[in-house]
Amino acid sequence: MSELPDLDPVVHGKLRLAVMSLLATVVEADFPWLREKTGSTDGNLGAQMLKLEEAGYVAMEKRFAGRKPQTVYRMTEKGHDALAGYVAALKGLLGEVL
Amino acid sequence: MADLEGQDDGLRKELMERVELMEAMICEGREATCRCGWIFVLWGVVDLTGLALNWELPHAMWVWPVVIAAGFLIQAVGLARARRRPRQRTFVKARNIGAVWGMMGLAVCLYVAAAMIRHLTWQLSYIAGILMMVGLAHAISAAILRWRVQAAAAALWWAGGLATYFVQGKALLAIVIADMFLGLVVFGLYVMFLERRHETGAVAGHV
Repeated sequence: MSELPDLDPVVHGKLRLAVMSLLATVVEADFPWLREKTGSTDGNLGAQMLKLEEAGYVAMEKRFAGRKPQTVYRMTEKGHDALAGYVAALKGLLGEVL
Repeated sequence: MADLEGQDDGLRKELMERVELMEAMICEGREATCRCGWIFVLWGVVDLTGLALNWELPHAMWVWPVVIAAGFLIQAVGLARARRRPRQRTFVKARNIGAVWGMMGLAVCLYVAAAMIRHLTWQLSYIAGILMMVGLAHAISAAILRWRVQAAAAALWWAGGLATYFVQGKALLAIVIADMFLGLVVFGLYVMFLERRHETGAVAGHV
């Protein structure tokens, strides 16, 4: 991969960027929905969600929907800022293409 | 900040792929709907029921409080059931719109309660006030969603509100019924139709 100055490497990952773009539009989303929308596997998505959590960009909550356990994610303020910063950096890099 | 002037096409292509990925995911996310069409239908039916009972029992003071309380009870049960449903998602704009409708509902309840206590529900301005408030909530939703169908619903309610100052008697009653039927029941059924269409739409993976 080429060197990408000014781009947050946590956000830049393809699956992580897809998840953050999805979470930017919804209040919260559960794991199966994110997996379905991104077309990823459980293992890959779980690993990427953990990275986003560690960066403080998403918050995870485990709860019950009726009797079924549910893992729900929502984007944090830090995550919104990171995504906005990423978009701004992309605009800067791509210049007038965008 | 560095730009891509003179850099390899591969990097530009990779960044453009990221842009396209973000656009695709945002579109997917926007398909996440909160099921709210039934709430419009419910309140349309509640209001029409209240009007019918009020027509039959013009001196019964219990009609509107009982009918509105029943409406809130049914809505609370419906929302509680929806929250228990797995894979429930709420579109960010839906939360904002929900706040608009919630506060409008509260305003109307306080307005109706005060008018009933003071026995002023016969005044044209009282009816106009309700129609304008519902129209306002529709209009704000329409502005947030940039949705012409809801803008038309807002226009319908506002037209009804203004018409109350120019018509009386059965014509006024017909306008109020038309607002409730078209602006709540029919609009809600249309929203439910759109929600069903979204849910049955095919979903494709992008990553």
